[in-house]
Amino acid sequence: MAETTPPDPRWCTYFFLFDGSKVKEEGDLTRTGICYFYPEETALEHQEVLCSQLAGVCRCVSELSRSAARLVRLRKLKFAIRMRDDFLWALGCAVELPDVSVCSFLDKLIGLFGFYNGPPRLSYQLRSKEELATHWAQYLVHLQGGATELHHIFGSLHTIDSTHVCGNTEETAEWPRIDPLLLLKAALILQACHRCPLVLAGCILYRGRVVSTQMPPELTAKVLVHECETHSQYFFKGSNFKDLGPLTDGLASSSGLPSSGRVTSTPVFLTPSEVRDLRHPPVDRPHRSTCPPLQSNRSKPRLLSRTLSDTPAPDTDDHCGPGASNQTVPCSMRSSFSYEACVSSGASPAPGGSPLFSPDYLAEEKGGLSNGLQEEQKEEELVEATSRCSVSSKEGTQVGLETNDFGEKVEEEEEDGSSRGGAERMRQEPMDSERPQDDWREAKEERPVVEMALYRHRVRGLVLALLVEPQFHNDATALEEVYHSSLASLNGLEAHLRNPAPGLASAQGGPYIFAHYDCLQNTLATNLPASSPPGGSGSPHSAPFIKATSLLHAHFCQAPTLQEIIVRNAGSAVYGTRSVAQETYFLQQGTTVRNSGVPNPQDSAFTLPAKARHKLLKHGVNLF
Amino acid sequence: MKCVLIASENAEVLFYWADLDFEQSIREQYGALQEEGVKPMAFEDSINTLFAPIIISCSTMIDRICDNYTSFSTENNHVYVLQQFEECLYIGVCGDGEENEEDLKRKIYVLKKLIEIHYGMVTLSSSLLRKELRPHDRDQRNHLWRKFQSLLGTYSHLKEQDQSFLVEAVERLIHPTLCEQCIEFLERRLVQQINSSTERAGEEVLHAFILVHTKLLAFYSSRNASTLTSSDLLALILMVQNQFPSNSDLEDMSPEDIENNSAPDVFYTPEPSPTSKDSGPSGAEQDYTPVFQFVDPDIQMAEDSLQTLEVPPPDPSMPSRVFLEVTSKDGFCPMMPHSMYCLTLWPGITLVLLTKVPNSQLATSVYFFLDSFSQLERRLNEVQDGTSVSRSQHSLHDLRNKLDKFIRALSSSDIQLQNAWAEFKSKVFSRSGPGVSRELLPCCKNMKTCLCGVYRHYFLVETTRSSQRLSSSLQERAQQSVQEKLLDWKDFLLVKSKRNITMEFPGLIHFMYVDRTAGQMIAPSINVTDRSTSELGKGPLAHFVKNKVWSFVEMARRYLQKGYTTVTLRDGDYYLCYFLWFENETGYKLEVLDPPTLRDYSAPIGMLASDYYRKLLRYYSKSHNAEVVKCYELLSVHLGVIPTEYILQHCCQLARKLWEPSRIPLLPTYDFSLCRSKAVGRPYKEGASRVNCRGPHFTRESHLSQ
Repeated sequence: MAETTPPDPRWCTYFFLFDGSKVKEEGDLTRTGICYFYPEETALEHQEVLCSQLAGVCRCVSELSRSAARLVRLRKLKFAIRMRDDFLWALGCAVELPDVSVCSFLDKLIGLFGFYNGPPRLSYQLRSKEELATHWAQYLVHLQGGATELHHIFGSLHTIDSTHVCGNTEETAEWPRIDPLLLLKAALILQACHRCPLVLAGCILYRGRVVSTQMPPELTAKVLVHECETHSQYFFKGSNFKDLGPLTDGLASSSGLPSSGRVTSTPVFLTPSEVRDLRHPPVDRPHRSTCPPLQSNRSKPRLLSRTLSDTPAPDTDDHCGPGASNQTVPCSMRSSFSYEACVSSGASPAPGGSPLFSPDYLAEEKGGLSNGLQEEQKEEELVEATSRCSVSSKEGTQVGLETNDFGEKVEEEEEDGSSRGGAERMRQEPMDSERPQDDWREAKEERPVVEMALYRHRVRGLVLALLVEPQFHNDATALEEVYHSSLASLNGLEAHLRNPAPGLASAQGGPYIFAHYDCLQNTLATNLPASSPPGGSGSPHSAPFIKATSLLHAHFCQAPTLQEIIVRNAGSAVYGTRSVAQETYFLQQGTTVRNSGVPNPQDSAFTLPAKARHKLLKHGVNLF
Repeated sequence: MKCVLIASENAEVLFYWADLDFEQSIREQYGALQEEGVKPMAFEDSINTLFAPIIISCSTMIDRICDNYTSFSTENNHVYVLQQFEECLYIGVCGDGEENEEDLKRKIYVLKKLIEIHYGMVTLSSSLLRKELRPHDRDQRNHLWRKFQSLLGTYSHLKEQDQSFLVEAVERLIHPTLCEQCIEFLERRLVQQINSSTERAGEEVLHAFILVHTKLLAFYSSRNASTLTSSDLLALILMVQNQFPSNSDLEDMSPEDIENNSAPDVFYTPEPSPTSKDSGPSGAEQDYTPVFQFVDPDIQMAEDSLQTLEVPPPDPSMPSRVFLEVTSKDGFCPMMPHSMYCLTLWPGITLVLLTKVPNSQLATSVYFFLDSFSQLERRLNEVQDGTSVSRSQHSLHDLRNKLDKFIRALSSSDIQLQNAWAEFKSKVFSRSGPGVSRELLPCCKNMKTCLCGVYRHYFLVETTRSSQRLSSSLQERAQQSVQEKLLDWKDFLLVKSKRNITMEFPGLIHFMYVDRTAGQMIAPSINVTDRSTSELGKGPLAHFVKNKVWSFVEMARRYLQKGYTTVTLRDGDYYLCYFLWFENETGYKLEVLDPPTLRDYSAPIGMLASDYYRKLLRYYSKSHNAEVVKCYELLSVHLGVIPTEYILQHCCQLARKLWEPSRIPLLPTYDFSLCRSKAVGRPYKEGASRVNCRGPHFTRESHLSQ
């Protein structure tokens, strides 16, 4: 399994967390400040040199510039840096990796630690260095595991592959084509769970990959880490999964759950802004810029009174439903969805794309899921969806309505106004008590965190992960409701995922390589084989593509007005194009006509845009 | 907020340059560190203190992990670039977003080039260079530092404003007839005359050229001269611009205005006794420069020019000592002493003479010996046991004979060198000595320092003391004769330098064509001031396009650095193309070869400070042994609405059209002897001036209607 491969030295030669507050005086030893150092077998002396020199230089630079250091480059190595309070995190990696990618890698690593352990100062006070070291090691392995070099460059989520364009046979066997209907099924399970007011958002994972999620990509990535961990265990122990007890740090392992072996719960820590986004799905979040006009103009009035019997037109956008604002479907599907459904408003759904949300499909699903409450549930969901949708579109004026789920709560909130959020936070985060209560709206990504719980229900390789309010586990009714409402569907879904439909033979990848990155959902579709050797940069024929892609991606990140670019050398030509929501890269193999490099309209490199447009259509990538 | 500094390995600042913002920021920080009532520390000292941790950490990193910092960046996008040259650490800082790592690295390399051109091989000894760059006397130091500060300022200005300094290639004024006449004039009426005069004091004019602002009108090299490299020529143009800056206001006036304006004469009236002593009071003031509360660019500009004025203008008849690369039959010398005479004909038009100084062959010998000792050092470092001793023994005997002869010829003027050599000989050649082993390393270093000392004595110390130069009257006569020759052309040239060529392709916004073999470029001018109108219209639009061009050049370099020779991109409303290719001498296009992928910290791509293209050509020539290989670059900016196939056709046509004027032999090239013999009386093709004619028409209108 890719998840178990050792860390790639190119992406992580060194990683350390250094606590400067421990080394203030002349006589203080550097080693007392080293909270964690990877690789752990590094000689202590060497650790001390790196930590003290980098910490010293970063402090000097940040004093000169009055801003924290972000990147330190050496000749053979570069370090992404984070400085907060007296802490310094440094991730050392190969110099040729794009700056954006390594910085986001470090941020993810820090984010993961914070998500499962809370603020670093507090966690190092509460727990031992050794205990936390195992966590860092686990996160490092997780972040570097799996997927292709490209996934690292874009820092994208590992999703289940719905298009199956892989030429690699090994890959084909392991990740067969997924029927799009299953993705809808997964989405419906999540929506059903979301009916419980204590559930904030959920996501469904299959063998370490995302099947469907309601969370923003950053949170999904965080939820994934424990899943991968357990998945690898599961993988090694064969079908012995039932023996898996609560996870390593299962502090609050579920007490009253019907089947404790399969259901676990872990405390997690979210930033106030993450919690806010989960509590009121932000329709007008900046990175959803393609969709909002449509929602507000078209779907809202009809949705308000809509039930299933209304059989709305296929183009109705109810993807602004509960939590669906973050719904991730595998990349290529989403692209057709976003283009057809959002850009060309009113266009009929593309096959394989929009059926996800079409009523015909809902009807079909009824039979598929053996849950007696299905229809009723769905009706309720839709109603709920509409109310949420209308509320969130008016967000800002009617603050209190967002939890809409219980009548009494809503009333309470109406009286209370915006102070409710503050009051609740007081309950949940005693360490943040000094914060002014009405300050929370502007909460940036700061140290204060909100404790939530991560509920996980495992059915073999399949995991339902839900971010829930902490009191969820004390609420037996809610627990049972969620458990029972999803159990049957999860079993069904797992069975389908495990036994892929036969006959879906692979559409052989052509003599070209492509990568299609969705910036909003943070997903990547590519026809490059996932299993690249550790430390290497993939097979020789994919190396030019990866090299060009990482350069172009860094360039796109830097130049906001840049739309498309072609680069060529003697051996290869790569085309990259991007829109607000996505980046696409394309390389045609074996067609490079040797030429002189002088401007030449006959140069095959300049036909790449047309070829990419044509060839990628069958992968669901629409560049027109 | 910008700063550049050079630090020695002892964390001592050998030179710094900082803009007002940076100075203010440092003073504020230092103010916080300092106690009340204590006299504020000199800026030089506070900068030393603040950077010390970084400088010290650099040497720790080299010692402990055999790696060194190349750059830092912060969350508010401040960038620090560090570059170690021998024992000097150069640090560049930018905190205002105007420069990125690549710009800073380039600036550092340019500073190094400027120091080399001023001090030659003295730069090879860090202890001697330290003495040169940081004189004990504070006034002298301030004076010297201000000279380099001013040069850096001029460089930054030119790099931002002048396309030839953007792409680092010399831009020529395209007027074949006049060019030809001038070359002939320089040869027959100027260089020959001076070299046969008795007032030349042993000097010999090797090169003579005429500049109109930064553009080259004509270049002549005498038959004995070696080729002047593009890197050196660009650096010299930079120095001329620093000495006689083009006043941007004046440039935009019509020629009639210039005639009536005598301001530049006032600015550069030489003072009667420009000794370093008279900078005393102003030097002391420098430490207490009032900190400006506002940073209006105009005011800063004014402040900059004030600082330029503070430097006492040099005696115009006094040449500058410059060290230039020479390849002659006597051997190769990367830093051969020359004297440079800059004779201003009119504001904006300058005649430059480069002369060979007496004793200059000494520099070739010194370089030979320095090189031998460096090679020996390298071998000694490689040697673990005594394996390669016997091989080096032979070359050592050869070295011994030559160096003995050299020291005898110096006629006992340098005791230090004699002593060092005696010590070295006793260690290597005597039976009792350790022989060729690692113990020799300190001796090698000592020998190198002493050789640099000899070089310094002959070419730096002596010149400043003596009045060795072409006589003033000879200089005046030279100036007058060229003035007479160009009198009728003067106004034309000044206008021509602003409108060198025009474009005639619809939808084409801008282009740059560079012949990297010759180090020359052709491009329509971009004027962003309101006074004048260039091809791009004027004002904000021209400014916008200019920024696009500037950032695209940088982009193209980054891709070239990673091995890509073609880059096209669609950016906003524009379509930009970059091509690099090779041809043989007849214009046959050679098959493309991937240029080597460079590390991020490798020398910047360009010709001024590091000759990337020369290395590229050498790399390419390896696979084309039989033929002369030429390297060209074309960069174009088109309107994005034009279909790509038309744009590519345009580029193709442009490359073909521009190829012809680029063949006009104005500049020394690597096959210069060939060109020079053809230079006189070569019939010019009519087609050569094709791109000259036609005013701006379709381009601008279609562009504005966007």
